[in-house]
Amino acid sequence: MIELAGVTYTYPDTERAVLHGLDLSITEGIVFGIVGASGVGKSTLAKVISGFIPHSEGGELEGAVTVAGIDVAKATLLDVVSKVGLVTQNPFNQITGARFSVEEEIAFGLENLGIPRDEMIERVGAVIARFGIQELRDRSPFALSGGQQQLVAIASIVVMEPAILVMDEPTSQLDPSGTRLVFDIIDRVAEQGTTVVLLEHKLELLREHAQVVAVLAEGRIVLSGAPREVLADDRLDQWGVGSTRFTSAARAAISAELASADSAIPVSLKEAVSYFSGGRR
Amino acid sequence: MTTLYLDRPSPIHRLNPVTKLVGLLAVVLVVFALPQWWASVAILVLVMVPAAVVSGVGGRLLLVTLILAGPLLLVLIIAQGFFYPGRETILFALGALQFSLEGLLLAVGVGTRTAVLVAASVLLLLTTHPGALMTALTERGMPAKVSYVVSSTLQIIPAFRTRAESILLAQRSRGLRTRGNIVRRVRVLLPLVTPLVLGVFVDVEERSTAMEARAFGSTRSRVSYAVIPDSRGQQFSRWALILLALAVVVLSFTGVLR
Amino acid sequence: MKVSVHGLEFVYPSGVKALDGVDLEVESGSRLGIVGQNGAGKTTLVRHLNGIFQPTVGTVRIGDWETKGRDIADLAARVGYVFQNPDEQLFARTVAGDVSFGPRNLGVPPERIDELVNLSLERVGLAGEGQTHPYHLSLSERKRVALASVLAMNTPIVVLDEPTTGQDARGVAMIERIVRQLNEEGRTVIAITHDMDFCAENFDRVVVMAQGRILADGEPADVFANGEALDEARVEPPQLARLATALGWTGTVLNVETFVNRLRDSERSR
Repeated sequence: MIELAGVTYTYPDTERAVLHGLDLSITEGIVFGIVGASGVGKSTLAKVISGFIPHSEGGELEGAVTVAGIDVAKATLLDVVSKVGLVTQNPFNQITGARFSVEEEIAFGLENLGIPRDEMIERVGAVIARFGIQELRDRSPFALSGGQQQLVAIASIVVMEPAILVMDEPTSQLDPSGTRLVFDIIDRVAEQGTTVVLLEHKLELLREHAQVVAVLAEGRIVLSGAPREVLADDRLDQWGVGSTRFTSAARAAISAELASADSAIPVSLKEAVSYFSGGRR
Repeated sequence: MTTLYLDRPSPIHRLNPVTKLVGLLAVVLVVFALPQWWASVAILVLVMVPAAVVSGVGGRLLLVTLILAGPLLLVLIIAQGFFYPGRETILFALGALQFSLEGLLLAVGVGTRTAVLVAASVLLLLTTHPGALMTALTERGMPAKVSYVVSSTLQIIPAFRTRAESILLAQRSRGLRTRGNIVRRVRVLLPLVTPLVLGVFVDVEERSTAMEARAFGSTRSRVSYAVIPDSRGQQFSRWALILLALAVVVLSFTGVLR
Repeated sequence: MKVSVHGLEFVYPSGVKALDGVDLEVESGSRLGIVGQNGAGKTTLVRHLNGIFQPTVGTVRIGDWETKGRDIADLAARVGYVFQNPDEQLFARTVAGDVSFGPRNLGVPPERIDELVNLSLERVGLAGEGQTHPYHLSLSERKRVALASVLAMNTPIVVLDEPTTGQDARGVAMIERIVRQLNEEGRTVIAITHDMDFCAENFDRVVVMAQGRILADGEPADVFANGEALDEARVEPPQLARLATALGWTGTVLNVETFVNRLRDSERSR
């Protein structure tokens, strides 16, 4: 579904390449998590996958980017946008200002795609219900709190039902229940066949919701695989990625010789319970 | 949002925005076509006042019109009253200056014309939500980009103000003092300007990405989500108003109505 | 410096009641973590501490000062507030220029300012970036500049509004280090956070808020074992606390060290 081969990218007016010969392959219909230290190029990668690099940002892009069968460099941005939805970090700047109410703001993308009105009404209604933002329907999108704006911004892209959803830290402004809601929605759209590329710091949730996790470091994907293995890898620290407390506790237990280094290191709560209540020795 | 719009349950509010625009256009045409001083006054009394009452925003309309057109009317009355060259009937004198009836009537005519134009425009804005106006116009072929410029500007301004307040708060939390004389107050605003301006540039760039992410600029035919009610009756009225206004213009120019 | 809040109620001009009777005593030099949903009143509460909000009912005392009628700029000498969004604050052409803004306003003599600025930048890991333009830095670096600019004010009380949001592992470690240092210097640290693990491991007092009220107030071990309050506030206990519960252990565990010790004890008792 998504193929990046040998991708190297340098922002305009800068010298150092942010992405260096990056290879990445993402199959259809899964939740693909990407972790990495801040500033390492996660947002850049999100923009490359969604076509905003090179079409919107300029700079020098080398390598092949194929998304949903489209060669991104050769296609127009609009072609790519109809297949890939991008949710960026700052919700305030994703409110377009083109419409005066939350309901119409969410419908805006559908209007641009030429969707018939009946379908628009149905889709917008469904999305508003799913995000639990009914009371915000008639409010001005600019008069919302940061967390509310983030939900509206995500809703505005999800409603467009893109084949691929790229989300760059979509829960940064949300409290724990808002975060859970967004992850539930991610599960739901993935079940319906959408490929979700999720850039996140929240490792426990990634373990729970992602089918594959990759680590971005030094401008490339340095590790990719099952969440359980990737998130327990002992090189994560050197790449600036942390670990869940369950993992840290297991490692500390091993150092204190209270646990065996042979069993797989836990990442989630369930795995930790298993690990510590029986199969240790 | 920065707008005059006041939400009221009036028949004028419920009219299609284009009908109201056509109404405004008709008023403009008629008012300019009839130069007689009493023409504008007649329109003011027979058209604008009833409309103001029916719309439920009469109070605000009166206030804004007075603020915008009042000073002009006053200046005109003084200027034309005392200095109109075609003076014949003198009403009173202040020293060497003589106040003429002709001058007064001329001033009233021009002044009321301005007042009618202002009142009609303001009434339009008071009774029409900008979003509805933009949608109605876009449906009739106005480029979506124009609509976007208008709606985003109207919404960004108050958002701007909110941000300016946040910035001021952050600086005061670092010890910036905002009380004091004018010089100090201006000096105080300096630390505010940079984050505000830079913020605008960053915003514009990121917001244009957001617009692209919503497929803005796509050439597919757009159906609008919002429904702006219209009716045969209104359609008919729009044509009738235009024809009536044009008729007045023609009759006036051919001298029939002088 | 001690913070005292008594019977605090706050109603916004729009009529929304954001705080519904809050009582809070924060001992001088302690570290307080405030958790709860968005809209629970956490930010409204801490904004009373530096005078951004004035109580509708009740009193707020910072040391021996009542906040009533005091200017934010005055309270800035006692309460350093690090806002969530650095871009609403950074205005100078250089990082050093911004970091020195606070101390200059507080009347620190010019000779001492350079030293103060360099020290603060070192603490946030941006030593040497003094002459960089703030907007050439990444967002997480800008957050650190904003933090440094408040640290440079050397206030007895420091308020952090969601300091770890959006930070990667190294960023969080830096924040933890700074909280520890501030504590060692005897300063009072108050932080709003959604990160329960960060809260459990770095604070000696936790307050859980919901709908303008405090539901639980005490040591992390007690608060994070209070299932009822956490449920009502819709927050989850930290990871190790949940693990301890799932393993059927009594009491709760707040950090890895304690976990290992408990593990050792339970091993021995076999």
